[in-house]
Amino acid sequence: MRQKLLNALIGILIALLLGAFLLLLQGYDPLATYESLFRYSLFGYYPFATTLRNAVPLVLPGLSAAIAFASGVVNLGQPGQLVMGALFATVGGLYLDLPPALMIPGLALLAMLGGMLWAGIAALLRRFFDMSEFIVTLMLNMIADYFTAWAITAPFKDPAAFSPMTPQINPNGWLPKWGEFNTMILFMFAAVVLAWFIFNRWKAGYEWRITGQNALFARLGGCNINRNFVAVMLVTGALAGLAGGLVVMGGPHRFIRGLGANYAWDGVMIAIVANNGLIATFLYGLFFSAIQTGALGMELITNVPNEISQVLQALLVLVIVASREYLNTALEQLAARRRAREVRT
Amino acid sequence: MTNNSTLIEMRRIVKVYPPSVLALDDVTVDFRRGEIHSIVGENGAGKSTLMKVLYGLTHANSGEIIYKGKPVHFREPGEAIAAGIGMVHQEIVLIPEYTVWENIVLGIEPVNWLGKIDRNRARQLVRQKIDEFQFNLDPDARVENISVAARQKVEILTLLYRNVEVLILDEPTAVLTPQEIPQLFAELNRLRDGGHTILFISHRLEEVLELSDRITVMRKGKKVDTVDAANTNRQQLAHMMVGREVIFTSRRTPQPAGETILKVENLSLREDHGRVRLDNLNFEVRAGEIVGVAGVEGNGQFELVNALMGIQSPTSGRILIRGQDITRASILERRKHISFVPQDRGKMGASLTAPVWEDAIMTHHRLNPRFSGWNGLLLNTRYAQQFTRQLIEAFSVVLSSPRAPFRTLSGGNQQKVIVGRELLLQSDFVLLDQPTRGLDVGSMEYIHDQILRIRAEGRAILMISADLEEIFLLSDRILVLYRGKLVGNLPVEQTNPQEVGQLMLEGREASL
Repeated sequence: MRQKLLNALIGILIALLLGAFLLLLQGYDPLATYESLFRYSLFGYYPFATTLRNAVPLVLPGLSAAIAFASGVVNLGQPGQLVMGALFATVGGLYLDLPPALMIPGLALLAMLGGMLWAGIAALLRRFFDMSEFIVTLMLNMIADYFTAWAITAPFKDPAAFSPMTPQINPNGWLPKWGEFNTMILFMFAAVVLAWFIFNRWKAGYEWRITGQNALFARLGGCNINRNFVAVMLVTGALAGLAGGLVVMGGPHRFIRGLGANYAWDGVMIAIVANNGLIATFLYGLFFSAIQTGALGMELITNVPNEISQVLQALLVLVIVASREYLNTALEQLAARRRAREVRT
Repeated sequence: MTNNSTLIEMRRIVKVYPPSVLALDDVTVDFRRGEIHSIVGENGAGKSTLMKVLYGLTHANSGEIIYKGKPVHFREPGEAIAAGIGMVHQEIVLIPEYTVWENIVLGIEPVNWLGKIDRNRARQLVRQKIDEFQFNLDPDARVENISVAARQKVEILTLLYRNVEVLILDEPTAVLTPQEIPQLFAELNRLRDGGHTILFISHRLEEVLELSDRITVMRKGKKVDTVDAANTNRQQLAHMMVGREVIFTSRRTPQPAGETILKVENLSLREDHGRVRLDNLNFEVRAGEIVGVAGVEGNGQFELVNALMGIQSPTSGRILIRGQDITRASILERRKHISFVPQDRGKMGASLTAPVWEDAIMTHHRLNPRFSGWNGLLLNTRYAQQFTRQLIEAFSVVLSSPRAPFRTLSGGNQQKVIVGRELLLQSDFVLLDQPTRGLDVGSMEYIHDQILRIRAEGRAILMISADLEEIFLLSDRILVLYRGKLVGNLPVEQTNPQEVGQLMLEGREASL
């Protein structure tokens, strides 16, 4: 635990130093750049609220990927599951009319159902035709992309709009705000806690973890690894789908073109940086969100283009992932050398 | 003790495997020209590490190696071979699709003036070497078609072809049957008489005494002593190795077998492309009885285990436990009746990366309601911890913490956790697949005691082992598998290792 934290801090520090070097090469002032980057993301009421809110569509797909990967399930369908979740929530929001206390949870459940359905297709294809979920989920992303594009251009298009988008959903399904804090972050917190609890305290979570580490051992131990595979697919699909639903309910209140952005892939990347740890995924998700959010404000103040956030993200991924194993080996070798010296004397 | 025949001297070698496993603790040893020098010790005593340091496979933290009077430092095995030191590993690394001579010349093929491999000359050179060392090999045989013993010869010849003077052999007899061992020893003796130096790693003391000129005993990374083979005996060596007296004779007491627990009827398993793996097996295992399954590896043991555990479905036949047909039952259903200790700890017996307690509760978490909370949804982690502590205590597992990753435990302690977990399941039938493979003498003794204890409790035990000594030490009855067929079903009192060895090799008793 302490070593993980150390690794993260060292990695972040090195990445920021490398970033500073690049900024210097381009003739920018790195200190001022970083200062505004973090001022517009962490330090301040409005920036912090925005960072939290922007973290939602990163953290949820991140959790989805982390749970899948740690359970030995290669679900790379988060982008597709996210937009399907968004579409389900949108369609529900267009046709349902319930009081907010029922409408909001109802739409969130619909979003999860959309993600589950999309992941479930891959799970069934794997179960009955032994098709690799790796390929199938990736291909389903394309289908989901075009399917949702069609849905908002033809059947659910807002007749008043000039570009593909749906009408706004019933305001009863809009997520309320508390000051600057959008309540979508409550769903994120709940999802993190619940996912952690299922993964670490449920019997199913125990079996998923062991299966991810050694499937044959789990199978011989009496775990039903086929059923567990389907369960992991559905749960991780639901998490990604929820992200899509929350984006609709918390933001534009409709499905507009390009809604999914690059959220899900960023989430997958965050899970990899976090080495599939759930808490780590949450924390890295916040940090990456801070960089993305701060970059927008930074662009207004300094001349530095906000693409620098992409550079910083890439550096963080490279440095943290590369240093993880290296730090381990280096520490162990250091310990070995110390021990050998003790023996000699 | 340095005299003029000393060929290799290893001085004050210290090796720590990261982070802090002290594998070699200030070891000084010398090897003479033209001797067979055995290095014995329990698993983890450092014998293989010592040889790997010499061979350049791993590097010492301190100490020096003097070879032919000069200090040397081999950065990699290639340099050691070039200098005349070669090592044959436990796992044989040959290309199965290639012929014997192709494997031997691989890497230093003789070529003609066009740079094309001169096949005739290569074959001739290999044949010369075979004749020179009287190895009785066919240079044109494909490696996949020859026996394990012959493959081992090919490995040795590969090194001799490269003109090594020093041959290191890492437990070469572990993969051989009793009949094949004398031939290997005869060849090693011939090599020694021809001036080669042979370093022989083993933990089988009788072999070592028979073969060696000198013996170095290691224990826990330290050299205990180097002795002349002529002046020592098995008891003394065992005492030096383990640090206490070891009992070699069976402690099995006669005990009448009870009712039939496991019954296998006409069990056959054929692979898709028609190869028969199990051929119409019929046998039973009764309560309070240990049935040993002997056989050269690859004669159906793997498939028998898979069929019993439900990993592979048999083509025909039935498996019954207490009369209940489990041939097609789910693995969980089988686990209600079967305790299973697999042969490969890291692949089938545990997750190496998981904390010990998570490996310790596998299967129990499904069968014992005390591990559940909230109608079986939650894992009762408090009870899981308590259970793990009980297991650790009952089976004398040495570890830093139940939360430590499983891989940080020594092999013996890993096996104790697995055996403990399975025996605590309280099933009537216990399937043991090589339960002491790769364990040191102390752990082996401990596991054997546990097996005898559950026999006394009246459980039915089927034990597969490649170690004939172990089979004879524990079994009441011995089954012999040969090419998927059961060629022997012998009460232990009415047979002997020679007979079983013969059955293992040829599938029938020697005709007179």
